Amino acid sequence: MRTQGTWIVAGVRWRSVQALWLRHAVALKRIWKVATTWYLVEPAFALVAVGFGIGRLVDEVEGGVRYSVFVAPGIIMASAMIHAIFECSWGVFYRITGGFYETVLTAPVTVTELALGDLTWAATRAVLTTISVGSVAIAFGWVTSPWAVGILLAALLVGMEIGAIGLIFAALSPNTHTLSLVFTVVATPLYFFSGSFFPIAVLPDVLEPLAWALPLTPGVHIAQGFARGELRLTHLWSALYMIGLTAVILPIAIRLLKRRLVT
Amino acid sequence: MIRGRDIVKRFGPTTAVDGVTFDVMKGETYGLLGPNGAGKTTLMRLLSALSPLSSGGLVVAGLDVTRQGRAVRERLGVVTQQDGLDTDLTVRQNLETHGYFSGLSRRESRRRAAEVLAFFGLSDRAHDDIDHLSGGMKRRLAIARAFMMAPDVIILDEPTTGLDPQGRNLVWDKLAALKASGVTILMSTHYMEEAAALCDRIAIMHQGRILDEGTPDELIERHASVEVAQLRMVTDVKAEVQAALVAAGYAWREVGTMIHVAARDGQRPQVPPLEGVRVTYRPGNLEDVFLAVAGKGLGEE
Repeated sequence: MRTQGTWIVAGVRWRSVQALWLRHAVALKRIWKVATTWYLVEPAFALVAVGFGIGRLVDEVEGGVRYSVFVAPGIIMASAMIHAIFECSWGVFYRITGGFYETVLTAPVTVTELALGDLTWAATRAVLTTISVGSVAIAFGWVTSPWAVGILLAALLVGMEIGAIGLIFAALSPNTHTLSLVFTVVATPLYFFSGSFFPIAVLPDVLEPLAWALPLTPGVHIAQGFARGELRLTHLWSALYMIGLTAVILPIAIRLLKRRLVT
Repeated sequence: MIRGRDIVKRFGPTTAVDGVTFDVMKGETYGLLGPNGAGKTTLMRLLSALSPLSSGGLVVAGLDVTRQGRAVRERLGVVTQQDGLDTDLTVRQNLETHGYFSGLSRRESRRRAAEVLAFFGLSDRAHDDIDHLSGGMKRRLAIARAFMMAPDVIILDEPTTGLDPQGRNLVWDKLAALKASGVTILMSTHYMEEAAALCDRIAIMHQGRILDEGTPDELIERHASVEVAQLRMVTDVKAEVQAALVAAGYAWREVGTMIHVAARDGQRPQVPPLEGVRVTYRPGNLEDVFLAVAGKGLGEE
């Protein structure tokens, strides 16, 4: 039985990337009831708790913006980040240690194609959770601009970039103890210091540029811009920064994965 | 179908495969027999283009493994030692996704999966979770997956290791059926009976080298004594027995509580009459071959 024609660009067979994406979609469909809690219920808890709870205590931020309106895009991006990092670190780690990726590689598939398949799936997860939590935010009237559809673009960028970071942890971790560092070292600080819950401007001057350099901050910035329908040049720079980071991190991740899978 | 020349694979300072040369003909079942750590798995990973050679040449189905890895993998079915099944998916979905990874369309994948499930007697488990399968069934599914693309060559790394006797028989049945269908099979094993039952030719591997190669009968004739004496000690006279055997110039090894004795000329060993020892005789087998060739038993590291 011979394979059918497919696109091969720069040595990457598009079909393999698609196949892994499809595998993830089939797996998600099997458990969609449980998955709903990760994609919708859990992040919606955060949105409601912070939006209504803290929103009561804080009047306005950044000159006239209601706190719930300010915080909604940040919480959506935080959920996008969690999904991407979880998929590419824990998901990939278990698929490596369980021997599944070794058997996938016995098909005409390369490590680079696996990494790209996981990355596109991480981006898909980020977009899915953005749609579900975003709908809740829209229902509460916290996101109103028609430009808000652009938040999906921010989710896509966050999914790829954070996913690439997750792959590095999956490739390097000898066990789940070291793997759990991905939450301590990456997810938790990004969750709190990326301008989601408070404007970065309130941080001490020394920390401000540091917060801007964090990989999630530009994503939150772009999402906030789209959510309020106020787009500036800084949003473009943010997008380019994220694309640039992805372009640097991904080849490193692929190299490390190759070292782990093809020896 | 497979041609290996002076294959060497090093991991840092250790040499896992140390100059292996062998040929596997079309339709043949070729066995790599050896203990853990002999280099069998490494050699099979090299064959599947999952691992680059340090030096040497390896051609599978007319394709160079080093330069045409993807094309080689299109023609190979590989069963790794870990089943490597996708526990998030059902039995049927495992096969379908593998077909899709290998380049079949979704419709072709579905059709082929149904065929393969029927052939491997798994049709009534098609919608089961992987975790609900027995060890033998998981292994059969792993072999079924390798068969999705109707490959010319199937590579199996220790297909029955870790299975109970019933599971082993199920796997042997299917391997015999595959063999009958004309597929070229390369398998590794550390079970003598498995190699003797399934393989047309066997290579004995030890410390990264092939020590000898031939049909099971040839190897037994060449290396195993025609008759082996089995000594069972009724009382604690092991030391005396061993001393007597050394004096008589016989080769021997301990197997559990017994001592197996072989004469160098292959004739029935004339074990000196000893108090407290029962002697029985049996024909030589592949286990004796391994002992003769590698200088130690299969179970020993």
